[in-house]
Amino acid sequence: LRPIGHAERIAGVASAHAALRLKNRLSELERLGQFIAEFGADHGLATKAISELQLAIDELVTNVISYAYADAGEHGIDVRLTADGGEVTVEVEDDGQPFDPLTAPEPDVDAPIEERQIGGLGIHLVRQVTDRLEYRRVGGKNVVVVHKNAAKSR
Amino acid sequence: MEIFESRANDVLILTPKGRVDASNAASLEAHVIALIDAGERRLVLELKDLDYVSSAGLRVMLVTAKRLGAAGGKLALASPQPAVREILDIAGLSTILQILPNARAATEAVR
Repeated sequence: LRPIGHAERIAGVASAHAALRLKNRLSELERLGQFIAEFGADHGLATKAISELQLAIDELVTNVISYAYADAGEHGIDVRLTADGGEVTVEVEDDGQPFDPLTAPEPDVDAPIEERQIGGLGIHLVRQVTDRLEYRRVGGKNVVVVHKNAAKSR
Repeated sequence: MEIFESRANDVLILTPKGRVDASNAASLEAHVIALIDAGERRLVLELKDLDYVSSAGLRVMLVTAKRLGAAGGKLALASPQPAVREILDIAGLSTILQILPNARAATEAVR
């Protein structure tokens, strides 16, 4: 099963897109991981970068599913991937309550085990494995944009 | 995810296979906590078949280490795949959890 997508070639620069709609269920995370792996393989992205993108987007979507909704109903979460050469952009869009994950406090990852916080690691990992993050609230939706260079090293 | 278990005397070796993410971390945590409550004190988490872990899975490792530490026990991790090892490093868990190259060395480390 291939994701919905298309590749276009403009002025010699290959740009590829793919989109996936997830339900707000944690059981969707495996499908999300497969989707990113296939996109990465199709577009020749570096293996390590694919793993890091899987982690980053998983953490963002997990946050949305776990905390964004005041009701227990079904919601759609849109994940849109773009690869322009090795530059990958991922948008994660949800219709949950306004929430900017970039404002989450950083955990102390140098603390001894007795003082180590159990939570708060997710967004820390996202920051560590991506190059740039943006958040905006648009038309009643949260949009987090992830930028990452995923080119294979030459 | 499946969890395989084997034993070397008083050391229990848990080998999760597949993925640990937010969808199944809670059941893994409940399983491990039940083992500790039942008296297990020396645990090895053998990670060679763990293909993917997110912060939800790291949380289980941290909770397990804290619980065992409080009960006078020990946890060691063994043989993580490179991508999992990278995540352990980024999360700062490599400095507070013992990570050994194989299950045999990890078994010795918790004795």
